[in-house]
Amino acid sequence: MEAAVRTSGLRKAFRATVALQGLDLVVPTGAVFGYLGPNGAGKTTTIRLMTGLLRPTSGTAEVLGLDVATHPDEVQRRVGYLPGRFVAYPDLTGAEYLRYLAALRGGVDWSWVEQLAERFDLDLGRRIGTLSHGNRQKVGLVQAFMHRPDLLVLDEPTTGLDPIMQAEFLTLVGEVSRAGATVFLSSHILSEVEAVADTVAILRAGVLVRTATIPELRAQVVRRWDVTFTDEVPVEVLRACAQVAEVRVRDRTAHLVLAGSAEALLRAVAPYGVENIETHEADLTEVFLGYYRHEEEEPWPVA
Amino acid sequence: MASRVMPAATAATETPFFLRSVYLKSLRDHRHGLIGWSVGVGLLVLTESLIWPSFKDMPDIEKLFEQYPEYMQRLFDVSAMTSGLGFINAELFTLLLPALFLVYAIGRGARLVAGEEEDGTLDVLLVTPLSSTRILLEKAFALVTSVLALGVALYAVTLACSAAIGMGIGPVDAFSGCLSMVLLGSEFGLVALGVGAATGRKSLAVAIPAALAVAAYVLYVAGLMVESVDPWQHLSPMEQALASGPLGGGLPLDFLWLALGCVLVTLASLPTLDRRDIAAPG
Repeated sequence: MEAAVRTSGLRKAFRATVALQGLDLVVPTGAVFGYLGPNGAGKTTTIRLMTGLLRPTSGTAEVLGLDVATHPDEVQRRVGYLPGRFVAYPDLTGAEYLRYLAALRGGVDWSWVEQLAERFDLDLGRRIGTLSHGNRQKVGLVQAFMHRPDLLVLDEPTTGLDPIMQAEFLTLVGEVSRAGATVFLSSHILSEVEAVADTVAILRAGVLVRTATIPELRAQVVRRWDVTFTDEVPVEVLRACAQVAEVRVRDRTAHLVLAGSAEALLRAVAPYGVENIETHEADLTEVFLGYYRHEEEEPWPVA
Repeated sequence: MASRVMPAATAATETPFFLRSVYLKSLRDHRHGLIGWSVGVGLLVLTESLIWPSFKDMPDIEKLFEQYPEYMQRLFDVSAMTSGLGFINAELFTLLLPALFLVYAIGRGARLVAGEEEDGTLDVLLVTPLSSTRILLEKAFALVTSVLALGVALYAVTLACSAAIGMGIGPVDAFSGCLSMVLLGSEFGLVALGVGAATGRKSLAVAIPAALAVAAYVLYVAGLMVESVDPWQHLSPMEQALASGPLGGGLPLDFLWLALGCVLVTLASLPTLDRRDIAAPG
């Protein structure tokens, strides 16, 4: 299947800084792709290159099979875009703003716009200038989804949304993805995309650090188990397990740090009389923190 | 949701007329300013017209003007100030109205692209099937339409005042004066639009055409004062717009240079948006 987005050697330098250094990224068609990185990593730069708002210093960005630099209008027709800082005309009502964009785009089914507004509990009759930040963001989301684009490019889409609306947004992303659209969304918060993304890419200081599926990342998750035995802890058996990274013993309980599958461990300890196993659910965030901590920068926001 | 009272705007089953294109939306954005400016220009013409009857009765007015330096006589066309047409021309159409039209047009022109970019609304507008060339062209037409509308207001009020007070300004006289204002304003307003599209900065989009307008005026005045500058002054859009009168000056060929200037400035600005990075709102 053709990639929805393919960048090769995509580089963007601004006057004093290099925002993106040779990005090679492939977003499969139909995927929900989480684009993660701390503030200033180059997420917005990538998105603005993909939507044709910036021109690459070198390299190319192909979106829906078209080079953005040479076919910006064709790409822009088929993309739904939510800017990182979405601003609409404050003197228009939500309905007027969306009618305007619908007129410019053509072929928008207005009943779908009303459905979207309904789902986000957005009052289209109010002037955008009088709306709260969260409600303005909803206007931005509706305009991105309203023409049923083949590719949605959403820069930090859940900014300002309350948890209920975030959930509604994720449901919507799931729906359009099942209908065949590709969704590319950036975030600096991992837990936000974890539930909905098939694949995530981690960007740091303009460099792609890792691309992985969520299951692949989960396999790397470091978990903490407390295993209590009926008798003495078989320390040597535990240490012999490849997946056990760390063992600390206290009375009859072993505090383990487990990396990867627990299958071998369970088989090994079964003969020794296991009284109780307590697991501490690990956050995928910790995996990311691992990538992130290589450099001393601002701390990763954990939500 | 059902309990919420929806204002009429949501009930609209189709797109409001002035939101159907970038051109119409841009005109819509000018409507308040245009009304305000039309009223202001109207009051200015009215006030000046009301002064005329007492001015004309001043004794020895011609002797006063004879003492003016020669270039000032030509600049303000003072010799004609003994007629109503000449008075309004000298008082309004040679400096004040051109300046007002320039301020209006440059202000609108700067806001059309650079203003939208600084506000952050340009992003979504550009990520539509419309090419940036098309967007710029529609905005350029909207600007000229807006300046033209102010010109029409000026035309109407000039004729009305002339008729009411008996200043003898005919429809053709007023037409040449107002057309000159519209062409001059449009040219520099389009420069503002173009500079805004090329730089994305509203401050530059105002400063550069304003500086050019001042330079054009200086060149025009210098051409009147200094003989060696005289051939060069014809390059000045100010000279092209004002030298003929402009009120009651007929339709000089110089107006074609202004129109050509408008076209060239627009053509030059069309590719600018595609050639640069659009600033993220911050």
